[in-house]
Amino acid sequence: MSDNPFKIIRPTDQPPESLKKDVMGSVKFVMLILRFVQLFVADLPVSAFDKVRLIDPETGAPKKKN
Amino acid sequence: MFKSRAKKDLSRTDEELVSLLQKEMDADRFAVLYDRYSTKVYQKCVGMTRDRDLAKDLTHDIFLKIFVSLSKFDHRSKFGTWVYSVTYNYCLDTLRKNQRHREEDIDERTQEGLPTDTTSEAALLGLRAERLDHVLEQLDAMDRGVLLMKYEDELPVTDMMATLGIGESAVKMRLMRARERAIAKYHELYPDEP
Repeated sequence: MSDNPFKIIRPTDQPPESLKKDVMGSVKFVMLILRFVQLFVADLPVSAFDKVRLIDPETGAPKKKN
Repeated sequence: MFKSRAKKDLSRTDEELVSLLQKEMDADRFAVLYDRYSTKVYQKCVGMTRDRDLAKDLTHDIFLKIFVSLSKFDHRSKFGTWVYSVTYNYCLDTLRKNQRHREEDIDERTQEGLPTDTTSEAALLGLRAERLDHVLEQLDAMDRGVLLMKYEDELPVTDMMATLGIGESAVKMRLMRARERAIAKYHELYPDEP
């Protein structure tokens, strides 16, 4: 046995079984958020303005492209 | 197909798994790394915090931090060394928030002025295990951390420099002061002992 008292008091506990489930659940949630961000935020102008139509404020008619 | 891939992942090195995860996020692949390191990380957190509930929360947060920061791992060190560094620094940051920060006046004494304190090292390593445990419990998080790095994990000074992000003289100064404070705490807790 080691004479070093630091080695003697070293923790030998095992992580709780439920911890893996918690960690992997959080990892999957983070992946979902990152995918969402990739999908919508990374290309924000396209996703936000894809369906936007410019209209004339006076007549309400769609503006013609120049 | 999934089973054969999972089997293959088990035989891959940490660095190979990280490279694959850097290309594509995959929870099952990350679980292989979790299985390899969860015990080490949890035990380090228990050692640093002396609190199993807090250690559980910290282990959870550390693995999440590792997952999110995988893209920053540059393969210059071993993955295990990087995990150790993230674990140590995350524990320390959390404990610091709960403790009064003690300013380390590193410049107060120059490296040349450092005494060769083999006496304090011998005194520390000569303590009875249960008393040392009690002393460590009472110490400041930074002091406890550097002592565990040096005497429990037996990290060389160069690795401590990398983990703490400080120079050699600062590491030696922190170690020396941590030893001094540990011995002082021991005399405070056990005044009748030599």
